[in-house]
Amino acid sequence: MSEALLSSNGLALRAGGSMRGRVLIGRLDILVEAGERWVVVGPNGAGKSSLLAALAGVFPLAAGRVRVDGVDLAAWQPSLLAARRAWSPQFWSDPFPATVRETAALARRRGFGVRSVLDDGVRVDDEVERVLDRLQLAPLAASDVQTLSGGERQRVAIATALLQGAPLLLLDEPASHLDLAHERLLVDVLRAHAAAGGAVVASLHDLDLAWDLASHVVLLDGAGGAIAGARDDVLVADRLGLLFGVAIRALVVDGATRFVVADDASSIASGAQR
Amino acid sequence: MRATHVLIVVAAAAAIACAVGVLAGSAGFGVASSDIVWSIRVPRVLAGFGAGAALALAGALMQLLTRNALADPYVLGVAGGASVGALGAMLVAGAAAATLSEWGVAAGAAIGAIAASLLLFGLLWRRLASTAIVPSGEAATALLLVGVMIGAGCSAIVSLILTLADEGQLRGMVFWLLGDLNGASHWEIVWIAVAVALAIVWPRARELDWLARGDAWAATLGVAVGPRRRAVLLAAAIATGAAVATAGAIGFVGLVVPHALRRLGVRAAPLLLPASAVAGGAFVVAVDAAARTIVAPLQLPVGVLAAAIGVPTFIAMLLQRPAATR
Repeated sequence: MSEALLSSNGLALRAGGSMRGRVLIGRLDILVEAGERWVVVGPNGAGKSSLLAALAGVFPLAAGRVRVDGVDLAAWQPSLLAARRAWSPQFWSDPFPATVRETAALARRRGFGVRSVLDDGVRVDDEVERVLDRLQLAPLAASDVQTLSGGERQRVAIATALLQGAPLLLLDEPASHLDLAHERLLVDVLRAHAAAGGAVVASLHDLDLAWDLASHVVLLDGAGGAIAGARDDVLVADRLGLLFGVAIRALVVDGATRFVVADDASSIASGAQR
Repeated sequence: MRATHVLIVVAAAAAIACAVGVLAGSAGFGVASSDIVWSIRVPRVLAGFGAGAALALAGALMQLLTRNALADPYVLGVAGGASVGALGAMLVAGAAAATLSEWGVAAGAAIGAIAASLLLFGLLWRRLASTAIVPSGEAATALLLVGVMIGAGCSAIVSLILTLADEGQLRGMVFWLLGDLNGASHWEIVWIAVAVALAIVWPRARELDWLARGDAWAATLGVAVGPRRRAVLLAAAIATGAAVATAGAIGFVGLVVPHALRRLGVRAAPLLLPASAVAGGAFVVAVDAAARTIVAPLQLPVGVLAAAIGVPTFIAMLLQRPAATR
């Protein structure tokens, strides 16, 4: 397959998905190929979640089109599309008791036969156990999701997305509530997913984590501006400083770029006011 | 599989409850004359089983749809509409000095249930298709609030009817409102309603588990959110309306039965829905058998005993809910 896993052409978004909302993204063209890891960065309310939902097909576009495997989203049969891309929202509702194992396997593709129903409605196969183990959830497999901590619940959400079995992962804030060690684990898992022929588009708040995960970056300013490209061209200290309104300096530590907020923030912050 | 064990136990309990229901009489346990068994007890057991099955099924559906473990069939307002219809029929018949057959009350209840359902659908038709990105989205909340408001309006009308009714009618009306299987003989309609409701929702029951986690997430998995939610609401309205028309507004079955099954490990909707139907039927038949015998020859309304079991369970549920985490 030579088609890109995901592409957007002239994509424009407005707040709330209504034509009267403020412009979040004026125009965004991206081409996500297998093996790539795209990170969406921007201030609060810049439209990161809206962009990921729009790429997943559950947020209306103000203009442009989104294609998966070269086929327009609207032309996909929804259940087939679910086998090609998985979307993990920022917030989950857990209204009823369910084990971690059941929740992780929720979206797992399986037959509709009597057998799949009798197995508690969830086919717990080796792949489920493998993914739970990889995300260090194995000891919690039989726990109730309603009792988990925020970071634990987040890892279950990542497991659910991985177990959907789609090559393209669209993850909204997958690192939220994660501790340092599990942030590293997340980066490793997502890099491995991409290396195995998949692709990842994820929104992140931590710039260092973004640098570690990304091969490409989308910067959103929330006022229509969107810059997309290879990580080292886009994730630049000056530009990030302007975007967030604080002075940011890039340091290289053991070959990795780290972003630190400089003390003399006030002068640059005032210059960044739009 | 633990869930399959629970299903076997539920089926066995249903069989035992039906046997007890047929054997239990106001003159104590035992085999009565075949006339009593076939013309009174068997139809009553069948009507009770059907009504319990319909209410528990509707309760499970409403809980999934509203993402709320404390929802029950009556949050729809459909039962309220049925009450208004049934009591209205009794009132009109009383005013015309006519004696109303069992069927007349049931027909009134059915008309009321249909009117309330039409109102509910009319108000919510477009909202039901919304796919909010945040799972606490508006459709589930709107459904709960509109249903509760229709119910509140109906209960005001019920109070008005009770005020207007004369002494002779009041007793029958109050018994009907509490849920009463006494003299219930037309069991066929509620069984058909349960079959129709299951036929509507069961083939795609797995999608209901997805919808409970979030509208937009379910949509990314290929669920047609609007049509699915409307179908579930329709099934719940059919089941609730038929149950209330048959046996009155028996409380707590729809709340307690799905909850108990979830506690026992039956969580996935493809299992939960049929299991709720069978367990709900068994619950009402067993409670009714007790209601007929514990203070025999007096017969308690089945709704009173159901509430005696349901209220403590409801409170225990409310206080035991684990702290929400996100």
